[in-house]
Amino acid sequence: MTTLRSDRDRNGQKRSSVLQKANVQKWIFLAFAVVPTFGGYLLFALYPNVLSIYYSLLDWNGITKPKFIYFENYVRLFKDHYVWRALGHNLFYMATVPICVILISLVLSYLLTNKGYKGTPVFKVLFFFPNVLSTVVVSLLWAFIYDGSFGLLNAFLKLFGIDMDGFYWLGDTRTALYAVLPPYVWAGVGLYIVIFMNAMTTIPKSLYESAILEGAGHMTRLFRITIPLITPLIRVSAIFLVLGTLKSLDLVLILTRGGPAGSTDVIGLYMFNMAFGEQVQNYGYASAIGMFLFVILVGAKLIVDKLLPDRGYEY
Amino acid sequence: MKERRNFIDLIWWIVLIVWSLTILFPIVWDFYESLKTNPEFFQNVWALPDQLQWANYKKAWLNYHLLNAMLNTLYYVGASLLIGTFLTALNAYALTRIEFKGRKFIWGMIMLSLFLPGINALIPQYILMRDLHLTNSLTGLIVLNCLGESVFFLMLLGGFMRALPRELEESGTIDGASIFKMFIRIIMPLAMPGVVTVAIFKFIGLYNSFLEPFIYLSDSSKYTIGVNIYHANMLMQYTNDWVTLFAGVIITMIPSVLIFMFFQRWIMEGATLGSVKG
Repeated sequence: MTTLRSDRDRNGQKRSSVLQKANVQKWIFLAFAVVPTFGGYLLFALYPNVLSIYYSLLDWNGITKPKFIYFENYVRLFKDHYVWRALGHNLFYMATVPICVILISLVLSYLLTNKGYKGTPVFKVLFFFPNVLSTVVVSLLWAFIYDGSFGLLNAFLKLFGIDMDGFYWLGDTRTALYAVLPPYVWAGVGLYIVIFMNAMTTIPKSLYESAILEGAGHMTRLFRITIPLITPLIRVSAIFLVLGTLKSLDLVLILTRGGPAGSTDVIGLYMFNMAFGEQVQNYGYASAIGMFLFVILVGAKLIVDKLLPDRGYEY
Repeated sequence: MKERRNFIDLIWWIVLIVWSLTILFPIVWDFYESLKTNPEFFQNVWALPDQLQWANYKKAWLNYHLLNAMLNTLYYVGASLLIGTFLTALNAYALTRIEFKGRKFIWGMIMLSLFLPGINALIPQYILMRDLHLTNSLTGLIVLNCLGESVFFLMLLGGFMRALPRELEESGTIDGASIFKMFIRIIMPLAMPGVVTVAIFKFIGLYNSFLEPFIYLSDSSKYTIGVNIYHANMLMQYTNDWVTLFAGVIITMIPSVLIFMFFQRWIMEGATLGSVKG
C-alpha cells in the first residue's frame, strides 16, 4: 500500500514539474510575444489618444510651461473662421471623392468582369498601379499636369484650340479646390476595382442568364443585379473612403499646402500647420482641432451608416 | 454565354482605354521629359527629346543626394519591416493560439484602436517621441513603427494562425519542442503566405509613408526618399531645373514599380483580403 502511494506521488510530482516547466516556458514566451508590442501599443497609440483630450485644454507652445485654460481652445475654435472654411472643404471632398471613386470603380469593374474584353487582366493590373505609388509621387505627377508654364492639361487644351495662357490650376483660388479632386480619385480607384471585381465574380452566372433571357440590358443588369448584390461591400467601401478622405492631409499638403489663400485648406492640414507649421506652434489649440476632427469622423461614420441600406440581398 | 459585340461595346472599350491612358500617360510623359534639356522642355512639352539626356538622372542622383536618401529609406523600411513583421507574427500567434489569463482583455484593447482615427494623436505622439529623444532619428521612426501595433495586420495573421490545426502544437509538445522552437519551425512556415502578404503591404506602406518622416526628421541628411523629393520640388521655384526633378520622380518610383511587378499577385489578392475583413 505505502509503496504504491509513494510511487503515485513521485509520478505526480514528476508530472507537475514537467507541467511547471511548460508553464514557465509559456510565460517566458508570452513575455516576448506580447509585452513589447502591447506595451508599445499602449505607449505609442493609446496613451497619445487619451493625452490629446488633456492637451486640448492647454495653452501650450511645447516649450514654455503649459497653462490649463479649460475649454478656451474650443471657444476659440468655434469662432475661428478658418476652421469652418476648412471644414467646408472637407465636406466637399467627403461628398465628392467617395462617390466618384465608387461610381468609376463600379462601372470599370463591371466592364472587366462581365464583358470579357481583350486585355482584361492587363487593364486590371494597370488600374491598380496608382495604388502602389506614394502620395508624394502622385502629387508631383499631378502638379506637373496642372502647371501653368509646362503643364499637360494646358498643353492638351491647346490642342483643341483653348489657350489658357499659362493658367496655373492649383494656383488660382477659383480652381484649386476642384483641381485637388482628380488626384484623390485617380489614386483611389484601383483598389476598389479589384475589390468589386472579386465580389462580382462570385455572383452566380445563372442570375445574369435569366435576366438576359428576359431582355435586360447591361445597365439594368448592373443596377438591378450586380449593385444590389454587393451592397454590403459598397457600404464598407463608402465608410472607408469617407473617413479616409476626412482624415487625409498629405495630398493637399504636398499639392498646395492649403493655398492659394487657404482655398484648399482642410481640417487635418490646419491642425498640422497649427502644430508643426513654420510660424505658430500651438499644441493646445491644434489638439482641440484634432478632437473636433475626431468628433466629425464619428459623426460621419454614423451618418453614412444611416444613409446606406444595412443589408444586401441574398442569392 | 458569348454576346455579340456592338457599337456600345466599342464605346465601353474606349472608356477602358482612356482610363488606362490617364494612368500611363502622365508617367510616360514624365519619363520622356526627364530625358530632355530644360530649354527643349519649356519650348514644347509634346515633342520627344532630340538626344536622350541620361545625364539628368546622374544629376538628380547627385544633386538630390538620392544615394543617401535611398540608404536611409533602406534602413528605415528594412528594419521596420523585419522587426515589425516578426513581432506581429509572434503577437498574432500568442493571442490566437495560447490560452492565458487576460488574453481576451488584451485583444479587446487592441481592437479598440479600430475606432480611433489616430489623427488627433499626432501631436501627443510627437511630444512623447520628443521626450524619449526619438525625434530626428531614423531609429526612432523604426521604434515607432515596430511597436505601434497595427491591428489590421494582426487580424490578418491571427486569421491565418487560427486556421492551422490544433494537433500541430500537441504533437510538438509530445516531441518535447519548446514553444519558441515550435513557433519558428512549425507555425511560421505554415503561416508564410500570410506573413509574406503582411510584409509586402508593410513595405509599400513604409516606402510610401510621408507624414511621419516629414514630421520627425529635421536633418536633411536623414531624409527618406519621399521627403527628399518633396524638398527637391520645393526648391524648384529657385532653380527651375525641372527635367532633373522629373528624373528624380522616376527614380523614386522605381522601387514601387519593381515590388509591384514581382508581387503583383500577392498585392492584388491581399487587397481583397482586407475588404473581406472589413
